[in-house]
Amino acid sequence: MDRTATIIGIAYLVVIVVGAVLALVLGNSTFLRKPIDREQVERREQKWLIVVVAMLVALLFATIFFAPYGRSAPKDAQNVAVTAQQFGWIITPSRLKANVPVVFTLRSKDVNHGFGLYDAGDTLLAQVQVIPEQTAQLVFTFRKPGTYRVLCLEFCGAGHHQMVSTLEVTQ
Amino acid sequence: MSAMPADSRHEAVAEEAGAVTDEQRAWARGLALRYSLTSTAILFAAGLMGVLLRDSQANLGRLHDNFWYAMMTAHGLAAFVGWAGFAVMGFAFWVLTQVGVPLRRFGRAMAEATWWLMALGAVGILITTLIFQYAGSWVFLYPISFHSAGHWGRWTNFFFHGSVLLVGLSIVAWSVSICHTVVGPALHAVSERVANRFGVALGLGYLWPKRFATNPKSVPYAVIPLAVIAIDMIIATLPLAVLLVIMMVESLSPGVTVNALVAKNILWWFGHPVVYLLLFPAVAIYYYLIPRYAKRPLVAGNVIAIAWAIAVIANVLVWAHHIYLDYPQGSIQASLNTAMQPVTFALTIPSALSLYSLGMTIYRSEFEWNAASTALFLGLVGWLLAGLSGVVNATIVFDNQVHNTLWIVGHFHHMALLNIGFAVFGATYAFLPELTGKKLYSDKLGKAHIWISFWAGMGAFGIWLIEGLEGAPRRYSVLPARWDTMNQIAVGFVLVLAAAQLLFAANVVQTLRGKVAKERTGREAFAAVTSPAAMMLVTLALIFVGGIVGWVIGHYTGHTKTVKVGAATPAAGGATGAAGAAATAGDATRGKAVFASAGCIGCHTLKAAGAAGTVGPNLDQRRPAYALVVQRVTNGKGAMPSFKGRLSDDQIKDVAAYVSSLAGK
Repeated sequence: MDRTATIIGIAYLVVIVVGAVLALVLGNSTFLRKPIDREQVERREQKWLIVVVAMLVALLFATIFFAPYGRSAPKDAQNVAVTAQQFGWIITPSRLKANVPVVFTLRSKDVNHGFGLYDAGDTLLAQVQVIPEQTAQLVFTFRKPGTYRVLCLEFCGAGHHQMVSTLEVTQ
Repeated sequence: MSAMPADSRHEAVAEEAGAVTDEQRAWARGLALRYSLTSTAILFAAGLMGVLLRDSQANLGRLHDNFWYAMMTAHGLAAFVGWAGFAVMGFAFWVLTQVGVPLRRFGRAMAEATWWLMALGAVGILITTLIFQYAGSWVFLYPISFHSAGHWGRWTNFFFHGSVLLVGLSIVAWSVSICHTVVGPALHAVSERVANRFGVALGLGYLWPKRFATNPKSVPYAVIPLAVIAIDMIIATLPLAVLLVIMMVESLSPGVTVNALVAKNILWWFGHPVVYLLLFPAVAIYYYLIPRYAKRPLVAGNVIAIAWAIAVIANVLVWAHHIYLDYPQGSIQASLNTAMQPVTFALTIPSALSLYSLGMTIYRSEFEWNAASTALFLGLVGWLLAGLSGVVNATIVFDNQVHNTLWIVGHFHHMALLNIGFAVFGATYAFLPELTGKKLYSDKLGKAHIWISFWAGMGAFGIWLIEGLEGAPRRYSVLPARWDTMNQIAVGFVLVLAAAQLLFAANVVQTLRGKVAKERTGREAFAAVTSPAAMMLVTLALIFVGGIVGWVIGHYTGHTKTVKVGAATPAAGGATGAAGAAATAGDATRGKAVFASAGCIGCHTLKAAGAAGTVGPNLDQRRPAYALVVQRVTNGKGAMPSFKGRLSDDQIKDVAAYVSSLAGK
């Protein structure tokens, strides 16, 4: 699993365990027959709002700067032209070097496609959408030599799942 | 037994409902019942398709690729709009009537129009997908409809987009009906101005009591989310309607085109709010029913009005979070996407505050645990689950990882089934007796349905979340082999989930027939132990057994898989029909993939494939026969390399079928 995916998985697991405990406490409380102090609970709603906003702001500032937009590549980058079309990828060149940044310049000949870069174990490494009439760019550096796979990650028709190509990365 | 007369249950609203006449209530009963039964019928169609889709992915009864995608298109639209959306739209009318805001003449006409437009649209969508093979997915991202790889034609396009347009118009009609109803006299707004009355309906009176004054009562909470979404859906749907009309025109006169990026934005301009067309009326149901079972009014301070004020604006300004990974050069899309992360975060506030209010309404109350209230309680849990995975999707850097993986599919099934669906189930169990005047057939059967559905759903959708984090792509009729085992385990959960819906069907049908289950009949014996813990254990055991059975079946059929690559469908008939040997010839759709990925494009010209190579023969001019292509690709000739070993025999047959069918066209 990719590092980001691991972070997401652990974070989600933690919050749903907290949520499950809250749900059990809530369900169980209905058998206690002890009324609540309504005004106090309504006041606490404002505090809850502040807590929620604080958590969201924290998450926003922790993540927004890592958006994949506008990444520039160094001069010595390897340039790769990718043409997407139903149902295949034309990638030139398809033999690349490890540890040298790669700039993929992507265009589509027909419909929307998604350029999904996978390693040999089918772990998703990077992706970007390829839209007709537009040029997309993806900067990525391969760390390990080997065979990588490109899968289509935007539904493009009956052969969508067959739209697979490979990349060879050497030292 | 919860099937007690509905009237004795909610004194809290009796006073409010006093303003509604018997005629108004009788009319709303008939309408809501019609919506409920129609949407339930669609649930069964959509659910069956869901089972077939997932079975096929697990290689239990593999469907042909294009048919799988056609069914996926139908399943998405039918389950999301035709069932969940349609159901909550109908219940909204009943909730409004019950809180003392009945429909007036124009509102009623619009509510009738809503039903007819939706019913017609749903039938059109089912026919164009399941029979005429339209398979562009429910988002029909422009211009995929016009690149069908030969599977469907222009009239199918015309009628499919026309059917979706009917559904869109149905949503607009519903929104107009709700708007007309909430600005009427029933809310007791003091001002005569329509804008002010909308403000009252949006709950602004809780923040500015003088400016948005009501006399004598303040606005029932259940009205607020309905007013919010009615306004938003008019704004959200009209641009899509224009796009659909253009696509209908393009179906018949191909010269008319649209910019693909603009079209994508328009689709999601509608595509996000339509999710809340399900959520917000479901919230109205929660606001109305949870207090009934908790036997106390909704715990909500004025702060909840802030949440809904945010919602009405933010809901139409978050669409780009569905296209975070579209950021082509020279467009403003990246800036737009970045701006929409904080707005999307803001949109979680209505959910966070509503969950607080509803949770605190239940907290330490004398909550009545019956089938309806259990469904609503678990629906809140589903809401939390969907909301939390939604925060992940709303975060650009996380979306970069999970976008278009099965994680998303898990997320929105939590949303659509475990949250909205459970609100619909809860509302059905609560309202069916009120709408029909008959007691619910069996509360225990209802509880069994709810608990089994919950745990089976958790399993089936949880597997998607896990697969998605591993990078499994969504919308694949056939997933990479790595996910075979998990897909087979999922089938067990899916079958249990489907079987549980039969309990729901039985309960609804028997209620309509006026039957009431006797205590401890044979039919109910298994549901006798209905304590949550026991139900949980029983369900987990069922799921475990189901999972193993599913895995065993999948495992063995998986190894004997004889997926005849040559099995061409009628839709691809043009490709192989000429040879009259569909069983042995290749599949043109797969062939198209082979043609593009094997490098043929580099050297040959084939207009239909967008290939303009000049190294090898021009295939449009030569128009080679099937057998010749097989021969040349296998053995090569001159500069043409042999692909034997590089392509499988089946792949060679596929590419031959493709080339021989298309060359010259």
